[in-house]
Amino acid sequence: MGVGTRVVRRLPARRADWRLMGRTARLVLGGPGYALLALLTAFAGLSLFVLSLNTALAGFALAGDLALGARLRVLVGLYPFVGSAYGPLQGTLLVLVSLLLGVDVSMATYHFREHRVTVEASGASALGVLLATLGAGCAACGVPILLGVLSLLGIPSAALLLPFDGLEFAALAAVVLVLSIHWLADGMRGGEIRGCPVDL
Amino acid sequence: MESRRAFLAAGAGGLAALAGCTALGGGDGGGEGDGRGGGSDDGTGAASPTGTSTGTPGALGGHPAAAGIDDQPTLGPAPTEATATIVAFEDPSCTLCRRFERNTFPTLRADYVEPGDLSFVYRCYPVVYPWGEPAVQALESTFAASESAFWALKDHYYAEQDAFGTENVFERTGTFLAEETEVDAASVVEDARNGRHDAAVQADIEAARAAEAGGQTPIFYLFRDGAFRTKVQGPQGADVFAAALEL
Repeated sequence: MGVGTRVVRRLPARRADWRLMGRTARLVLGGPGYALLALLTAFAGLSLFVLSLNTALAGFALAGDLALGARLRVLVGLYPFVGSAYGPLQGTLLVLVSLLLGVDVSMATYHFREHRVTVEASGASALGVLLATLGAGCAACGVPILLGVLSLLGIPSAALLLPFDGLEFAALAAVVLVLSIHWLADGMRGGEIRGCPVDL
Repeated sequence: MESRRAFLAAGAGGLAALAGCTALGGGDGGGEGDGRGGGSDDGTGAASPTGTSTGTPGALGGHPAAAGIDDQPTLGPAPTEATATIVAFEDPSCTLCRRFERNTFPTLRADYVEPGDLSFVYRCYPVVYPWGEPAVQALESTFAASESAFWALKDHYYAEQDAFGTENVFERTGTFLAEETEVDAASVVEDARNGRHDAAVQADIEAARAAEAGGQTPIFYLFRDGAFRTKVQGPQGADVFAAALEL
């Protein structure tokens, strides 16, 4: 079996793979503790993404000479759909990545506590977080940086279309997080979550 | 198993290659500048070919983003007299700058600039698409001829951004200036082609680099009562600017 074939077999290419991911995630998040963990992680991830874009401003809002109301207005205004820094597509993508991160961390935590988590799944989760952070950070700098990187690869900038205004990394992060969730679900196949069989 | 490891290794390699993305945004812009920037050679407030400043030395606490600030396109009160000042570094080809111009700038202008509470200074920082470089040459040449034409051309670039490319910047700029402004369009475009006001462009770029703007646009430096407050990256909403400046 070639490497390419083996890679394809590890991707969620079948409908049953997606159903397994959905069922596993639903069973894990059915536990209030894991649901809370997912929400907190998603919020923390989103905060990391948006605040990393504006470290100077976030630092000023937290520690600068500002009234409490002004601090809150600055900080809240940095988030998608509240402020205007992100368009609907970018905002949706960032929130989606944050939610995927929450689900992924929750599932990894469950898997780690109940079974022995695989290195590949945890590695993919970490890669997803890094890519998501890069993606959010690149909402501002992504276009020039991406153009620079791609020009090094011989791709002329005039021919480029960057539909997410530099959030292409975030889109990549979403893919990595989905893969991580898939591998986690696959790793839990055959087991039980709160008494329910994981297998469909 | 091996395939997954190979995938992760490839991802890690990609991350290493792209790590400069976050590294470029460093610094708080709080360094000291030399107070030099574009200067006026004709009394219109335009930058001089030598790039020397006729502005207030050490304006706004001597912050590098404010170097030569008296000679920059400004809306509202003079930066040295305003309660609050925003020094914006933008690229006409930057889509995020367009979002700022569409979503945020009109509110800032109506609510704070026009009542006289805020001074808004525009500086050119062409770092995104290649057509931004000839565009800022055209902007500076237009500014040397007429400040109102400069603001009109700036708005035009963002309004019609998708139509511009390196091959048609000067042609479309000339057409717009001839049809919509009072300046001598042919002369302005000729100046832009010849880089007659390149010193003003370079003064802006130098100010951005000295202020550690990195490779990003839009980026804004906020001042209140003559003192630097903070740096804002990206097309944040008007409320963020107003709150940070306590307007």
